[in-house]
Amino acid sequence: MEKLLKNKTAIILFMAPTLILFTAILLVPIATSFYYSLCDYDKATRAYSFIGFDNFSKLLKDPIFWISIKNSLFFLVFSCVSQLIFGLLYAALLTNIKKGRNFFKNTIYMPCVLSSAALGLLWAFVFHAKVGINTLLAGIGIKGPGWLYDIKGFITLPMWVIAFVALWQYVGQSMMLYMAQISGINKSLYEASYIDGATKTKAFWYITLPLIKPMVGTAMSLNAIGSLKFFDLIYSMLGDKTTNLKMDVLATFLYRSGFSSKGGNHYGYASAIGVVLVALCLISTFVINKVFKTENYEM
Amino acid sequence: MTAVTAKAKIKESKPKVKTSTVLIYILFAILVVLYIAPIVWIGITSLKTRPEIYKDPFGLPTVLQWENYSFAWNAGKLGTAMLNSLFVCVVTLFFTMMFGSMSAFAIGRMKWKLSGAAMMYILIGMMIPVHCVLIPLFVRFAGVGLDNNLWGLILPYLTFSLPTCVYIMTGFFRNIPNELLESACIDGCSIYRTFGSICLPLSRTGLFVTGLMTFIGNWNELLLAMVFIHDDTRKTLPVAVTKFVSPYQTNYEKMFPAILIAIIPSIIVYSLFSNQIVDGLTQGAVKG
Repeated sequence: MEKLLKNKTAIILFMAPTLILFTAILLVPIATSFYYSLCDYDKATRAYSFIGFDNFSKLLKDPIFWISIKNSLFFLVFSCVSQLIFGLLYAALLTNIKKGRNFFKNTIYMPCVLSSAALGLLWAFVFHAKVGINTLLAGIGIKGPGWLYDIKGFITLPMWVIAFVALWQYVGQSMMLYMAQISGINKSLYEASYIDGATKTKAFWYITLPLIKPMVGTAMSLNAIGSLKFFDLIYSMLGDKTTNLKMDVLATFLYRSGFSSKGGNHYGYASAIGVVLVALCLISTFVINKVFKTENYEM
Repeated sequence: MTAVTAKAKIKESKPKVKTSTVLIYILFAILVVLYIAPIVWIGITSLKTRPEIYKDPFGLPTVLQWENYSFAWNAGKLGTAMLNSLFVCVVTLFFTMMFGSMSAFAIGRMKWKLSGAAMMYILIGMMIPVHCVLIPLFVRFAGVGLDNNLWGLILPYLTFSLPTCVYIMTGFFRNIPNELLESACIDGCSIYRTFGSICLPLSRTGLFVTGLMTFIGNWNELLLAMVFIHDDTRKTLPVAVTKFVSPYQTNYEKMFPAILIAIIPSIIVYSLFSNQIVDGLTQGAVKG
């Protein structure tokens, strides 16, 4: 048995495809990306010339970079907070009912498996300045705002709209994780607390919450990374408008600097944005795990 | 408070629970409308004429415009796009399950010093956004003729699908009782047969779930598909759908059928297997 499970050839054979892929498609490109971020790419000769940290200092002076950072951080904070509140609320309420629980759960999770690009087009139409929701508002005599065209304020209205659409689409995921964790809690804990005179709210506050804390960490890191990666919805809802209306996030900024016909092939510059993105991902995961790190309670 | 009065209190509180339950049901009924209405609405709008869409976006069509679908299908080359998507997703699915379960077995069941490190290495893939490797991959692939090629999409899709697969499958393999493996060993089963004929069939649920998740995730992927493929005949479905929107004019009467065509496969798969997807997914996450 021991010998069988220590078979070196088998281990190498089993691990090789995955490790080779990971190294070739992930590790080497990331390293290359770091190198590119220190280079200037010449489109004509297709050559990279080492320029040190110039890309980064250029980035720091670029107003669009700061707008993207601001918007990305807004999405990060908004999605972490809103998904925690609504995901937990839905999960807590759903575990209280029996009939129809699966139906509700599956319905709320459904948009998670649908294409953000396609759903984004739908929502872009709903929040169109002239048609969509504004027709309904006009029907009751309210002049609706320009939704996706309104660029006033520190966090512009389109960002709020997209943040809510993202919440609509992805809250099911957090809800699922919390539900799984809540239904794993031993029922006798609740019975004991009710005997001691605790109300349902109190039981939620003093039993459910502390016991699902590790899952809050997991769900929140998933949210954080997901919101930093945010691209599909923004691209399909705003399209090329992102540039003019200052509604970039890091992902769209990177895409535009690297590949869009207008932005041109600034591979070095785009790689620098990629490096910032990786750094933000790692930092946010680290911070969230630090905050929610708890010793596992026996359940 | 004595146990007796507490019990009495629990009994008393039963009718109270009912009002709150009703409130919960009302809340979730509203939510269900919020989630299903947009999709029904896409269906209704996709059958309207353009003036109808502009004049009364939330009304019903007077005459059902079924030809919108054929227009969208032809104009967007949605048939080709769907075949492309299908090809990419099925190939990715096959290799993800194969490589993923192999590594998961080695990490979860076999005994070697670096198994923990290998798991860490693979899990890092979950944290890295695909954007960061976009440019190096694009440059590299252009050099070896993998750009504008569906295989150039399959490789990164495969790599980014593997961490979840390994993660979930490791959990399933670890749950297989030791006795089973021991008896297989006593009967002279080789490690490859133990993996292929005993452990894999026992982890069917896990394979099924990871398969569905991999398929759905790649079916919806937009960024890589947009960057890597520039030939219209090789575009995948999400990219083909976004083409209906241009800065100057949007063909809504074509866009809505296209949206529906793009999401209908996912909706069908999801409604058939939603319980398995949802349960399996959480199982993987909770076990970690």
